[in-house]
Parts: sequence; C-alpha cells; structure tokens
Amino acid sequence: MSTAASLHRSRKRKNAVMMALCTIAAGIGLVWLALILGALLYKGLSGLSLSVFTQMTPPPGDAGGLLNAIYGSIVMTVIGIVVGTPIGVLAGTYMAEYGRFSRLTTVVRFINDILLSAPSIIVGLFVYELMVRPMGHFSAIAGAVALSILVIPVVVRTTEDMLNLVPNALREAGTAIGAPRWVVIRSVAYRAALSGIVTGILLAIARISGETAPLLFTALNNQFWSSNLNAPMASLPVTIFQFALSPYEEWQQLAWTGALIITLTVLGLSIFARSLTGRREDR
Amino acid sequence: MKPMLSTDLNVAETTAEKAKIEVKNLNFYYGQSKALKDINLSLPERSVTAFIGPSGCGKSTLLRVLNRIYELYPKQSAEGQVLLDGKNILDRSQDLNLLRTKIGMVFQKPTPFPMSIYENIAFGVRLYEKISKAEMDNRVEQALKRAALWNEVKDKLNASGQSLSGGQQQRLCIARTVAVKPEVILLDEPASALDPLSTAKIEELIDELQADYTIVIVTHNMQQAARVSRQTAFMYLGELIEFDRTEKIFTSPREKRTQDYITGRFG
Repeated sequence: MSTAASLHRSRKRKNAVMMALCTIAAGIGLVWLALILGALLYKGLSGLSLSVFTQMTPPPGDAGGLLNAIYGSIVMTVIGIVVGTPIGVLAGTYMAEYGRFSRLTTVVRFINDILLSAPSIIVGLFVYELMVRPMGHFSAIAGAVALSILVIPVVVRTTEDMLNLVPNALREAGTAIGAPRWVVIRSVAYRAALSGIVTGILLAIARISGETAPLLFTALNNQFWSSNLNAPMASLPVTIFQFALSPYEEWQQLAWTGALIITLTVLGLSIFARSLTGRREDR
Repeated sequence: MKPMLSTDLNVAETTAEKAKIEVKNLNFYYGQSKALKDINLSLPERSVTAFIGPSGCGKSTLLRVLNRIYELYPKQSAEGQVLLDGKNILDRSQDLNLLRTKIGMVFQKPTPFPMSIYENIAFGVRLYEKISKAEMDNRVEQALKRAALWNEVKDKLNASGQSLSGGQQQRLCIARTVAVKPEVILLDEPASALDPLSTAKIEELIDELQADYTIVIVTHNMQQAARVSRQTAFMYLGELIEFDRTEKIFTSPREKRTQDYITGRFG
C-alpha cells in the first residue's frame, strides 16, 4: 500500500473520530436544554389558562393566577430599560466615537466588563444599601434601579461593539461632506449600527426579565395587587422562587407556569433579536 | 471617451493658470514618523492633477491633508502651509466643516450612507442650506445627472444607496460630493475597487467635471493618470520627486527615479 493512500485513510479515521466527539459534545449541550424546555412545557402548560393572567397570586390552598407578578415584572423591567438604556447607549457612543483613542475608554471598558459578569446578587445588595436601608422599606423603584444597573453594562458593550463595526470609511465620508461630528454619529453611525444596538437592548430585556436575586433585596414580593412604586411589588422570578419552595401544590403549579411564561418571553425576544441581526447581515 | 493626451492639453499649459491650491513646505507626521517631507506644489484651477507613486509614498497622505480629514485621528499632524485661494487652511482658525464643503472627497471604496439614494445626496445639501422640497428634488436630479447616474436610478430614488452596484455606488458618492457645490474634488483611488467598465465611466466623468472643479486624483494606475490628468506629481518615500505636465512626466521625465517608476522598473 502506498504511503499516500494510508495517510489518506488515517486522516479520514481521525476526521471521523473528531467529528463524532464534536457531535456528542453538541448533543450533550442540546439535550439539557431540550430536557429543561420539555419539563417546562410538560409541567407548565397544564396550568396555563386565562385565570393565570387575570387573577392575583392566591393564598396557600386556593386557586389563583399570576397577574400581580406579571404586572410587577413588566413595570420594573420597563423602568429598568428606560433608565438603563440611555446611559448605556450614551456611554457606548462615547467609547466608540468621541473617546475612541482616550485612556478613559480603556478604563471604562475594563470596569464595564467586570460589571457585566458581576453576580446579580451583588447588585441587589448594593441597591439594598443604597436605597432600601435609607428609605426604610422595600420598594418597586429600588427593584427597577437594580435592574437598570444590570442593563447598563449589556447595552454599553453592544453599543460600543456595534459602533466599532461601522467602517471608518463611512465616518470619513460623512466628515468629508462637511458634517459635524455629532451629525455623523446621529445620521450615519447610529443608522448603520441601529439593528445591532436594538439587539443589545432586547438582550438586556431578556437578561433582566429573569433576574431573581437583585429583586429579593429590593422589591421583595407582594401577595396582592400593588401599583405603588414606593411599596414592595411582586415579580415573576421572585414569585416562582417562593412558590416553587412551598409545600402547596397550587403554588408549585403556578411556579411551573410562571417559569414557562418567562422562558417563552425570553425565547421570543431572542428570536426577534436574532432576526434583526440576521437581516442586517443579509444586506 | 475622449482620446488620451488630447492636443488641447498643450494649449492649457501654455497659459499661465491661477493656482487654486498651493502647498508650501509641508511636513506630515504619523506620531513620530515623518510621512511627508517638505512638499511644495501648486495645483492649477479647473484642471486634473494626479498623484502617483508606489504604495506608502505619501500620495494619499498628501491628499488627506488638503481637506484635513486626517484630523479625525489624534496622532496625525501637519506643519507648513496649504493655501486655498491664498488662505492657509492649516490655520487653527479654519472652520473644518466649512473647509470640507469647499473641498469634497471621494474614497477608494464606495461609501454610500445607510439611507436612500435621494437622502444620500440631500443629506449633505441639507447641512448648510435650507431649501424647499422642489428645489431639493431639482438639486438631487442635477447632481445625479452630473454623475451620469440619473438614468439608472431615477425610478428608484427611495431604494437604499447600498443596493446599487459598486460602480453605481461610486458615482452616487461623486454625485453626493458635487451636490454640495465644492470648489475642489479630491479623489482617492476612486476606481481601484471597480471593474473596467465602471472605471471608464468614472474617468469620463472626471474629464467632464474638470470644466467646473479643481480635481486632484490619487492613483496607483499609471495609465489612468496619463488618461485623466493634466499634471502629474510623482512621489517617492514621502518626497515629491517630480511635478510636471502629465505628458512630460510620461514621455521625458527629468528624474531617473520617475523614469524607473513609470517604466515599471520598481514600485
């Protein structure tokens, strides 16, 4: 047998082994995801009914829904996004545009990366010290602030990355036509990076809508309907946490259903975010 | 297309022409390294000047000094004088945005803005002029006609500028530059990313535009320099080696280095 042919055979063998290993690894990763999603669907779907969205969280042993928790989650997420997004976008704009060559940018990027991977419970404790203790009670607004602190690093990062992807040639072209810097950023750079920046914001929503730890120390929970931002407010993650640990069957069922609702929402947001970036790459 | 090196060139050269841009003792630095060494040259009004030379010779750098676009980057600096109609544009008091409306620039890679064809042109006009919708429509049409693009895009002005072909995009960029009514147009290898047919169209366009604008073109394609320009500057290692009528540079250059370069012995 010639060397070339045996070499070819041994390479094919190695290729087959490597491919099998990679496939198994990918499979292992996917299996857990599928199991989690499957369990959620199996246990959560059975409890999904209109009353989940129309009734308050019940006392133990009673039937009820998750309306106050869903409402609380939406309110705090929206405030968190509304507060965190402008700060994040502006900071990212500074880093990618005005301060591209400055030392401050390097420092901010480093700190932002730390914040990005900081455990969210730390953020919860921070806001607890910052707001809950001075105010003397838990409140929805403290919860929203904690969430906005989680939003900022995500949005800073994606905004900076997406603006950095805008070719410099485009900025030069804008400048060369006589546009001042802020016009180039607003009308050229933002426009070119828009779908990416929006994706970052959607991902931030996905991230905070499932956060439990920062809310435990800030918004706490509320068994009843409350739209008072200055009082404790229920949220889906904290309600799930509480109900899942309880011995009551109705509560456990609601926890499964709540988990399914959050997962589907995050899944939907991720798919939407993906479709936005996908469209940009097609162009 | 016009024949290359047509005879009317000689007529133009004998008349003493007014200098639109005069470069005096210009040095340029990228950080510590010196990229342009004591450049002196005078660009006549309403004619095409080509900068040629091997990669890294400083021809693009020199072009980028003329509208001070290099100032986007903090470590680049120029010293010396660049006079536009006798006024030093390197002066600190020079308003950069106004300077750039007078001196337009087209880049190597087509750079349509992420907006419609119409908006690509209206964008620059709107920066400094407040005109009615009808006037703007007219302005856009004129600019597109000037860039020989009107017939191809008149039915899809609202389509994205980025949906055009490379050659069309480059003509859109020229239209955009022309629309703000500059006095000088800088072209940085405008055809090097284009196919031969688009290149021919761009060259034809340059030839027409020189009736109204002072044009400076950087090119690494010597045939192109010979075809479109009236005078040519040959640069090498940051120095201006020779600057003369294009015909002279390509037929009987004074300097041996010029001769070696245009005959393909290096570069």
